[in-house]
Amino acid sequence: MLGFIKKDIAMIKSNKITLLILIFIYVLMGLSNQIDMSFILPFTSVVVMLSTFSYDTYNKWDAYSITLPDGRKNNIKGKYLATLLILFIISVIILILSFIISYVNAKTMNYEQNFITMLGTIFGTLLVLDVMYPIIYKFGIEKARILIFAIVIVLVMGISIIANYLDFSNILNKITFIFNYWYISIPLLSIIPLYLSYKISLHIYRHKEF
Amino acid sequence: MENILEVKNLNKHYDKFALKNINFTLPKGAIMGFIGENGAGKTTTIKAILDIIKSDSGDIKIFGLDNQQYAKQIKEDIGVILDDMFFPEILTPNDINNTMKNIYHNWDSQMFNNYLTEFSLSPNKQIKTFSKGMRKKLEIATALSHHPKLLILDEPTSGLDPIARAEVIELFQNFITNPDCSILLSTHITTDLEHIADYITFINDGEIILNKTTDEIINNFGIVKCNEEEFKTIAKKDYLKYQKSKYQYSVLIENKQAFKNKYNITTIDKVTLDDLMVLMIKGVK
Repeated sequence: MLGFIKKDIAMIKSNKITLLILIFIYVLMGLSNQIDMSFILPFTSVVVMLSTFSYDTYNKWDAYSITLPDGRKNNIKGKYLATLLILFIISVIILILSFIISYVNAKTMNYEQNFITMLGTIFGTLLVLDVMYPIIYKFGIEKARILIFAIVIVLVMGISIIANYLDFSNILNKITFIFNYWYISIPLLSIIPLYLSYKISLHIYRHKEF
Repeated sequence: MENILEVKNLNKHYDKFALKNINFTLPKGAIMGFIGENGAGKTTTIKAILDIIKSDSGDIKIFGLDNQQYAKQIKEDIGVILDDMFFPEILTPNDINNTMKNIYHNWDSQMFNNYLTEFSLSPNKQIKTFSKGMRKKLEIATALSHHPKLLILDEPTSGLDPIARAEVIELFQNFITNPDCSILLSTHITTDLEHIADYITFINDGEIILNKTTDEIINNFGIVKCNEEEFKTIAKKDYLKYQKSKYQYSVLIENKQAFKNKYNITTIDKVTLDDLMVLMIKGVK
């Protein structure tokens, strides 16, 4: 499985110049106060991980990976673990950049607030990827792009419709414990959907033919 | 003789194509040439053996073990080349080495690097800069570098020039000097097979239509060249297929000696695998 992670990381490293240009643009935007650094994580990680799926599909890696020992399982496991690793690396980079930008802009930084925001962003990004991966494994990256776009629109519309009928402040009051114990609740809430997503992807991939 | 690969009653149905009761065995220490025209079912059979596609019915045993139940164990000892390029082309041979040494227990980095040197492949160049032949050589190096016991190769020499092809064929011959190792080799370049294959399995339209030793085919099969009058004297049971051209008949026979004893037709050419394929597919009975 480690081999599969290394393969994905090597593919991402091959695009290091593009990534460095992206980071440079983020820094410039951050310095001019045009962007909140915490929003960079979902965008960058989704782009980076989707590119690995695209390369796999374009080069017909999936069929070959099945011929490797425990290939069906390790391919999926490797992709999920590579995702966690990439999320971690990008988060660290963003945190460092945030500190630097705060220092340069001579702003006082609220470290705890920054950390909670980052955890929340990781949680949100993971949720997006949790939904995306089974769809990609089921329909392939090309069809999945359109489906994911459609699902996001439906979700946003659905939530806004429901929001009209529900009293959100009341609901938020009832789940304040999630925010009070954020250091436990956010990681826990991330792990459960991640595990479910992994299991669904694995189930799809075990039966998939190439 | 112990078999390294056994395929029994393999069936797989698609809308417009089906593998029908595929049966063959590959003994230890042997090379089997798997031939047939495009779309005949070679790649589908190989994909079923490797569990890339799921068969509808049938048994596939590799090293005496069920190919699905013991997939992990089996795949440690198989080297594979698929018909399409399969390495992400932004990787380098070094990346492949780092990947594979964490996938195969027996991965031999030294051996892999030796192959890279032998094939003049730069370890740090991205695969996308390689020619088709260089990519094929990288696949061959990867397939051989974990000391597999069985090689399953789909078109391993396509894209290679004659010199590189000869080098690769020699590698396969060296591989087979170990009596515990075998090769299943699917190819369109049948001249390669005449030199190295011990067995020929011929698939057409999803069915195995011939499964014999190469010696049997080369020594016993023949192509009778005759005119219409002579052709009319040949009993249907004494030939497999024939093709009529402008001036003569080409008649594929299974036993040259028996034919010579029975008929007074002296022009019997040796059969090549190309001739065999053309006559078996395009010929009539």
